[in-house]
Amino acid sequence: MIRVLASLCLRAVVVLTGAALATFALLWHAPGDPALAIALARYDSLVPADVVDQIRVEAGIDAGFWTAFQAWLSPLLTGDFGQSSVTGRDVWPELMTALSYTVPLALAGLLIGITLSVPLALLATRKAGSWLDRFAVGLASLGAAIPAYWLGLLLILLFAVQLGWLPAMGARTSAHLILPALTLGLGVAASLTRILRSGILEARGQSFLPALRRRGVAARDIERHHVAPHAAIPVLTVFGLELAFLLEGAVIVEVIFARPGLGSFLVDAIEARDFPKVQAVVILAAVLFVVVNLLIDLVYRGLDPRIGERDA
Amino acid sequence: MTIWATGLSAERSGRTILHSTDVVIRSGERVGLVGASGSGKSTLGHALIDTLQAQGQSVAHVPQSPDEALDPLRSLAFHWAEAERALGMKPDPTRQAELFTALRIEGGNLRKRPWGWSRGMQQRFVIAMALIGAPDLLVMDEPTSALDPIVAAGTMDLLDRYLQDRQTALLLVTHDLGLAARRVSRLMVMEDGRIVEDAPTHQVLSAPETRAAKSLCAHRNWLELPC
Amino acid sequence: MLNVDGVCVKRGGKPTLQGVSMSIAPSRTLAVVGESGAGKSTLIGAILGMIPCAAGTITWNDAPVRRCKPALVMQEPRSAFNPRLCLRRSVMEPLVAQGIAVDAAHLAALCQGLEISADLLDRRPSQVSIGQAQRVGILRALIASPPLVLFDEPLSALDAVTQKHTARLIADLQQNVGFAALIVTHDLGYAAAFADDIAVLRAGRIEELTTAQDFVTAPQSAYGHTLRDAAFALGALEQVA
Repeated sequence: MIRVLASLCLRAVVVLTGAALATFALLWHAPGDPALAIALARYDSLVPADVVDQIRVEAGIDAGFWTAFQAWLSPLLTGDFGQSSVTGRDVWPELMTALSYTVPLALAGLLIGITLSVPLALLATRKAGSWLDRFAVGLASLGAAIPAYWLGLLLILLFAVQLGWLPAMGARTSAHLILPALTLGLGVAASLTRILRSGILEARGQSFLPALRRRGVAARDIERHHVAPHAAIPVLTVFGLELAFLLEGAVIVEVIFARPGLGSFLVDAIEARDFPKVQAVVILAAVLFVVVNLLIDLVYRGLDPRIGERDA
Repeated sequence: MTIWATGLSAERSGRTILHSTDVVIRSGERVGLVGASGSGKSTLGHALIDTLQAQGQSVAHVPQSPDEALDPLRSLAFHWAEAERALGMKPDPTRQAELFTALRIEGGNLRKRPWGWSRGMQQRFVIAMALIGAPDLLVMDEPTSALDPIVAAGTMDLLDRYLQDRQTALLLVTHDLGLAARRVSRLMVMEDGRIVEDAPTHQVLSAPETRAAKSLCAHRNWLELPC
Repeated sequence: MLNVDGVCVKRGGKPTLQGVSMSIAPSRTLAVVGESGAGKSTLIGAILGMIPCAAGTITWNDAPVRRCKPALVMQEPRSAFNPRLCLRRSVMEPLVAQGIAVDAAHLAALCQGLEISADLLDRRPSQVSIGQAQRVGILRALIASPPLVLFDEPLSALDAVTQKHTARLIADLQQNVGFAALIVTHDLGYAAAFADDIAVLRAGRIEELTTAQDFVTAPQSAYGHTLRDAAFALGALEQVA
């Protein structure tokens, strides 16, 4: 078990280092002069060449790629995300403010996704091929096909413009959360429904179930003790990917509804070539991703120890 | 208790694959249900189990392979407890120990999942589980085809010994007359969804009456084949 | 003549075959028996050159086996065919692959020997019985007239009557066409009835190698004894008083 944990953690470290290096390289080699971009973001007007040169030194751009990378990475290892190269303020508190908007949105979206998809998938799989099943599959395909920005606009048109029930823009009250969360949640519900449905149907087709029935095991117990764990495995696998979708979706939804949060934080930072800010978001997302997938891996091994045996 | 089921039949996609059939098996009797593949013997076996269970008679089933009997994600202890619960029985370590000893799996670690045991041990665990409720009838579906010969022979011998002085009747469903002939006293021969011959084993072997029985008898032994 | 000489195979660091030697003369049949995990499938893979040998040599007439283009008959007849193609096209594959023209008389003779009617070949794998599919599988193996045919549990998916019937067809064809056969099986009855020699494989080693006759009457090894007695107990062999 310790060996498994160690190898999983080693994998996590490799992934994190790769993510850090890749984003740094991407930003570094992006077209245009980074120092000029920072200067423009800082002073909002054309600046003399010597100021740009000064910024170049200050931001460590003149030192070369590896030195700059090291200069950024070493404080990060102690938990210091550094200062914004535009405003000079600490990145960490700003990032926390952005997250305080994005995390509730993502969680609300996930909650809506789960509360919609689980009953829908259970109803649909009660009888595969029934009208209810076809309805659920159709709804799920539709939900997966509609892009978030279009769905968001439709919801705004209906609930904010036509009916006037809900606010569309900003994040002042908790009512402001409803429409963005719904936009995000419907997309999550669509993909979760499809995965749950196929997972349940596959689990119900397993060859040992008829024998259990003949042994007199109650249908309820078969569902709970034998179908559910098998259905959970593919669902868990996709859940890790779903997290990426959730983050990505949250960023887009925030832009549509003009909500503050990680979305605007990131867009602004990229435009200004604010390396420390962009890096902070990427590292945070990577850590989240790695941790969630690590947890999923462990749950996985608990459910089906054969997975661990194959690795060893 | 005599086992008694009438009017067993089955259809698949509009075609009758089992014509109305009656089955009577005496207490403690060993019966073989033999026929070529597609003759309907497995269908009859399943229909018999379902009907008897609906009538409230105690009948247990051992599928062809342990893969068709055990959930790979659940421990063997879980399977055992579940089987006891399904029969409405309380956990009884004495009964469990007795069955495990009879089938020589007393050394197995029950906390493991099925694939932690060898296939032969899994199959014997499934048989032990089928015998928990001392059923009136035990239906075995091709019990040897998923196992290596040495393991299969050992398993059949252990089961024979266990059933010797008990009331549980045995129905052996198989395509292999050679196997059935060594294990049962009465043979039911199936062809095209019907039992075409039902007689004591020695009678079927020495004087088969129907085409199906003749074919099975002629191909019973590897070393004396018709040319 | 097939010569397997001191073959060792390692997979994942563990030896699966250890010093296996055997030979099969043209038109003769060797059966390899043993329980699952004994290394039977590995042996087939090694002979076909799909699994590298850590030591030892495998040759056909002193040349690499691959050069004699051996054929393989698999256990699961239906999954051995492309489900989308009619059987005729699958059967012709070895000829197409080797660039040989179809010999109509040879094909007709094989079909007759295997009791395959012409219209059977126009169906798809899902439209024939398992027994029929396996006979077509044998047809495909023999169509390019290979001098060596490997059979991997060729009968275990069939019922008892079909097994014996198919075994008879294979044996008769071998008499007429002439090929060396290596049959991997767990059915001692089949091995005893249709092979010239029997090799007992256990945990990667040859436990004994004798003629089929001798094996049934007096196995040399203790394990051979157990194996034979199990075949008696299962009715695969009849005990001679």
